[in-house]
Amino acid sequence: MKKAIILLGCPESPSQTPLAVYAAYKLTDMGYQVSVASTPSAKKLVEVSDPEEHYVQNKIDIESCLDELNQGDYDFLLGFVAKDAAVSYFVTFYHILQTKSLALVFHRDREKMEYFENTVKENTEADITSARAYHNPTPLRVRLDRALEKMEKSDKRNQENKKDKTEDS
Amino acid sequence: MFCLDIYLQESEDYEIHMTRAGFKDCARFIEDNAPEVVHVKPGEKIVGARIIGVPPVPIGINEEKGTIMIPYTKPCYGTATVEIPVPPEEREKIRAVKI
Repeated sequence: MKKAIILLGCPESPSQTPLAVYAAYKLTDMGYQVSVASTPSAKKLVEVSDPEEHYVQNKIDIESCLDELNQGDYDFLLGFVAKDAAVSYFVTFYHILQTKSLALVFHRDREKMEYFENTVKENTEADITSARAYHNPTPLRVRLDRALEKMEKSDKRNQENKKDKTEDS
Repeated sequence: MFCLDIYLQESEDYEIHMTRAGFKDCARFIEDNAPEVVHVKPGEKIVGARIIGVPPVPIGINEEKGTIMIPYTKPCYGTATVEIPVPPEEREKIRAVKI
């Protein structure tokens, strides 16, 4: 089974927790086994939001996860990037995992959002989707849906191409 | 083995030069103030902890004081620049992983 890791930042923005639960639901639906790596406070917010673990079954501490992380541990990295520290964490996870990655960049301040977006762009080859968001998770949810849909289509195309090549040879 | 997290919890023998800053500012501080600067990949294990940041991550080395200066990032508190004394073999290990 494919494995995905959702990287949560500081839970200061109210949009983060509902979107984390939503992203876990979407990725599970796409066939991924999902783990959520976060700080203890972000973990507690997810625990209260999903008490029976319908959406998020695997919750791990971001620090211990990073210590033990190795290339190839996950097939997909989804990072919530809403702070300078979150950019550093996402870029670090990206460089260790070397896997397909998506940065979900958001902030209420456009200048900061663009700075985070540019830093991720300059230092990774990850897909990036962004929106000005703080209280309202909808703009980000819409962009996340689009980004995951695009990823799913591209995965399907790659699989078909691989299949065609195998059949040809 | 030297462990950074335990050292910061149990010792007072370290210096914090910047705190709650952005990674870029902390990196610039190290570049400008350390007598020797070594660059490493993000995720590299330095003194027992994975180094977090944007590549190339600068680590300052001061042979005279026997210290290293590193960016230290926490999700809610941003990045700090911390200077800690480390044994000579740890300084050599850092030089060995430079990029």
